[in-house]
Amino acid sequence: MMINLPPGILMLFGGILIPFLPSSFRQIWMIIILILSASSIFVDHGIHMICEMIDYSFIFWRSDALTMPFAIVFHIAAALNIFYGWHEEDWKQHASSFSYAGAAIGALHAGDLLTLFLFWELTVVTSVFLILASKTPQAIKASFRYLLTQFTSGALLIAGAAYYISVTGEANFEKISLNNPGAWFIFFAFGIKAAFPLLNGWLQDSYPEATVIGTVALSAFTTKLAIYALARSFAGVEYLIYIGVVMTAFPVFFAVIENDLRRVLSYSLNNQLGFMVVGIGIGTELAVNGAVAHAFVHIIYKSLLFMSMGAVLYRVGTIKASELGGLYKYMPLTAICCIIGAMSISAFPLFSGFVAKSLIMVGVVEHGYILIYIMLLFASAGVLEHSGIKIPYFAFFGHDSGIKTKEAPMGMLIAMVIAALLCLLLGFFPSILFSLLPYAVDYQVYTPSHVIGQLQLLIFAILAFIFLIRFNLYPPEIRSTVLNFDWIYRKLLFNFAVKFIMLLNKIWSSFSSNVISLANIFFSIIEKYSITSGNNAVKVGGSTVLILFSLGFVLICNYLLF
Amino acid sequence: MQKNELKILGSRFTYIILIIAVLLIIGEFVFHRHGETKIEDYLFFPAIFGFIAFIFIVFAGILLRYIAMRKEDYYDD
Repeated sequence: MMINLPPGILMLFGGILIPFLPSSFRQIWMIIILILSASSIFVDHGIHMICEMIDYSFIFWRSDALTMPFAIVFHIAAALNIFYGWHEEDWKQHASSFSYAGAAIGALHAGDLLTLFLFWELTVVTSVFLILASKTPQAIKASFRYLLTQFTSGALLIAGAAYYISVTGEANFEKISLNNPGAWFIFFAFGIKAAFPLLNGWLQDSYPEATVIGTVALSAFTTKLAIYALARSFAGVEYLIYIGVVMTAFPVFFAVIENDLRRVLSYSLNNQLGFMVVGIGIGTELAVNGAVAHAFVHIIYKSLLFMSMGAVLYRVGTIKASELGGLYKYMPLTAICCIIGAMSISAFPLFSGFVAKSLIMVGVVEHGYILIYIMLLFASAGVLEHSGIKIPYFAFFGHDSGIKTKEAPMGMLIAMVIAALLCLLLGFFPSILFSLLPYAVDYQVYTPSHVIGQLQLLIFAILAFIFLIRFNLYPPEIRSTVLNFDWIYRKLLFNFAVKFIMLLNKIWSSFSSNVISLANIFFSIIEKYSITSGNNAVKVGGSTVLILFSLGFVLICNYLLF
Repeated sequence: MQKNELKILGSRFTYIILIIAVLLIIGEFVFHRHGETKIEDYLFFPAIFGFIAFIFIVFAGILLRYIAMRKEDYYDD
């Protein structure tokens, strides 16, 4: 059945209707809407809907080889989220996550920069409730910081788009050359959402504060929408290679010492985005295929990992590594799914991550970036450390925390099992994934050399972990806060602003008191030599000085301007 | 009780990993592994690289604690 509405719009508005539906019907409603929305994936490539307004063509529906894989995986992620949140009674979370998925799908199909901006902002407005719904003071503060950074991205996008359109006369959301300030604004707008180094603080700040369902939804859409936008507009921009390689490397060190396992996964997300950004920066068909393939499989295995940690948080009430351990006995299926997700993200052969990462790595080598390739190998060992080992080890094994709990609810288990099976399916049959990619793939993933090389890297890295644990050299988990780049605006700029305001206040009080005393001296002299008696002496206060000073300032400005 | 179970599980896991590691060393010679780059063609390069990179990441993380670690309520002050 075909619905003649732009993809995502149906889900966006379908989500808004959720509060008015009985709780028992909400999931059914979402599944029906999702199926109707998914029918739009298989339309022919091309432009299907344009709205003319004020001499501008808003392209609401453009489908092509690049939108299709993202549209498929966004629908899969939305479906997983419906099952995962089946037990949840809070309509706000369902409405928010479903509309958010719709907004992200809408953005994918935007054919011009202003339509992209519209959906870009809608993803923010719809998703922030997933953080707010946690209702903790930390979550409320984090949601405001989330809004601030995401709206900054939106402001950069609209400013850049306006400049770019006025200079080039080109409004289509296509390849953009970095040869004018507008293009750079758009580049950084995408960069904030893609969590470029120094712009990444919002990700590790807000995602772990969201609800159990919220984090799973958040992990799928915003950052991958940015990856899609970069792939469409800035493929082949060399800066992206270096930005991407820094993104793969720095989060691994932070993830080692982070105690909150959902925050560890947020660092891991940043690292994975780095691989995709490198692939886009290389820009060849093989490398862009790799980036898209990586985004596709990443959404599934990262959702799986967040789902498993969410299940632990839901059952146990904490996700601090220092307080967890030994849960495999009580949550065996969750543990198995988590291990499958961990093996996928670590790129073990026969798991989905191996297939996608291989394309990027080969793309990097083909372009002659050997040092970048070595850095990516290093980052691969880092992925194994934080997502492959740390997550399952500290939650399900490690030490006996004494926690006794029960397996995750059925809906959560169904979602996790589906995601785990998809990880295996795409790992066992890479041709399925390859058939969805924007360009034809002529690459043999499973060669003995490739498999042995990758297994050597991973297995000997695991041996290093065993060595460190056996000799008590692995750092114990400590309840702490690890400073990230959000420290710049949460502490440094905040303290600077407070001190600056205090300094201004001090300068003003010192200035006004001096002016007051001078004015009082002046008036006392007038008083002395005037005919009126001392009973009517003029006294000058701070407000008088302020008025006189403002008046003087306005007069000087007038004089200077005119 | 569970403490012992975790220990046994850990030991079994270690043995399995050691067996796979030995098989991979044998595989290096049987399949004449070659990498994407010349440097990877050195004997056991991925194995040595993986082991050292892992240790480096963990120790660098420990050093990072001195710079970036604060008490849990740091931002709530």
